[in-house]
Amino acid sequence: MKKSRFLNQVNPLTLSRRDMIKRVGALSGVLLTGCDNEFYKPPVIRGGLMGVADVLTMASQRSLMSNEQLVQEHDFREITKNFPVWNQSDPEDEEYQRLKINNYEDWVLPVTGMVNNPISVSLSDLKKMPRRAQTTMHICEQGWSAIAEWTGTPLLSVIQAAGGIKPEAKYVMINAYGGWYECYDMFDVAHPQTILAYGMNGKELPLGNGAPVRLRVERHCGYKQLKFIKSIEVVSSVEQYGRGTGGINSDFGFHWYAGA
Amino acid sequence: MPHSTSSRIHRHTLNARICHWVMALSFFYLLYSGVMIFLHFPELYWGKVGFQGYPAIFKLEDWGISWEQAERLGDRRWGRNYHYLFAWVFLINGMVYLLWNGWRRSFYQKMFPKLSELSLKNMKTELVTRLRFWNKKDLNYTGYNLIQKLIYLFILFILFPFMILSGVAQMPAFTAISPELIDLFGGRQTARTLHVVCSVLLVIFVVIHLAQVLMIGAVSQIRAMITGGYFVTQDGDKSQQ
Repeated sequence: MKKSRFLNQVNPLTLSRRDMIKRVGALSGVLLTGCDNEFYKPPVIRGGLMGVADVLTMASQRSLMSNEQLVQEHDFREITKNFPVWNQSDPEDEEYQRLKINNYEDWVLPVTGMVNNPISVSLSDLKKMPRRAQTTMHICEQGWSAIAEWTGTPLLSVIQAAGGIKPEAKYVMINAYGGWYECYDMFDVAHPQTILAYGMNGKELPLGNGAPVRLRVERHCGYKQLKFIKSIEVVSSVEQYGRGTGGINSDFGFHWYAGA
Repeated sequence: MPHSTSSRIHRHTLNARICHWVMALSFFYLLYSGVMIFLHFPELYWGKVGFQGYPAIFKLEDWGISWEQAERLGDRRWGRNYHYLFAWVFLINGMVYLLWNGWRRSFYQKMFPKLSELSLKNMKTELVTRLRFWNKKDLNYTGYNLIQKLIYLFILFILFPFMILSGVAQMPAFTAISPELIDLFGGRQTARTLHVVCSVLLVIFVVIHLAQVLMIGAVSQIRAMITGGYFVTQDGDKSQQ
């Protein structure tokens, strides 16, 4: 557990990173002009005043952000004992239950869609990739917050292992057991603290917290931190999934952008 | 009835009236949606972390409403959507008000107390006078009295910014944008608690404000906030025309 704190460095991610910076740089010139600019607005904008408020919230927060800014990391002494377990804690999904019995040894993560070289990553493959540990605060939109140390692989490293994204790719869609899914834009995907976490507080990720692998996308509310990850798909649009809003939470009327 | 000539007094400027009603509407929705959100997690904590089972400094349960009952009453999906929508209405309205008034001298003359008003003796007499608020002889129809000025300034420049900042400090995005802001409040849960405490202060203000409007005369007061003025008879009594 102690050792993991010295492994905080994300590998230099030159190619995709440069691609990212180019992308973000091109977008940052435009603010609230209604241009086609996914950096400042959700993939699907709700009608009426709600949509206006959504864009204002996301654009104002994004204009204050850069991907060099990390979220606050806390001291390991501040780690919360009895970290809450919320929402699904053990997916009923048959496939998931089969994997669980075998201690997730057969768990594989397909990375498909608009990547140059689709792959499937096993849990042991994932643990061999660049590692990052971070002690951060989980903030649930309901109101609670708790601190834990998460260890995992930067999502960007996984995308790179799949050969990087194709030019038309815009979102990374993550599916979870139990029917949950969410998509994230490349700004969040490229953030150094966006990791596929397999460890929590120095141990294997517990069942209730999303074993074997969950997402940490630190600048968002809890409902964006998908647990029980099943597959990753890089897409150019989100309309064909679920109810077409780009995530199960926004499908049910919550904000797609959950920086709050 | 004695013959009395009534004269119209212009009390509220156009921008004050527009911004007042926009604010009243957004305050109503912010409060209602805030309550709806709170009912889905009806406990308050102090510090950085807090969750069900963690030592709470306030539990609705202690006031006779169980967690399950509160959850049934609340609706945080509706609440969150409307809270953000009207937070923007409130914020933009506030900026319009400040920009519209900030460069006017009359605004400062109207809203800020004169130095002479701030002597301890004057403040004491003012306070005593205002506590006898049922005495219509004490009413000042042309400007704000000292206590009004101080309360309005406190709400405009202290409570409102505090509400906005304590709201912002609860947002996960600000753990990256400005963790200093969250630390300034003493942690995420403290910010949430103070946000609620502050909203209670604002509700107390609104209750007193509405009670005063009713006592002085709801029709003429509300009409004044719509048309800008009212009619005052020579002897100081408000006419009802």
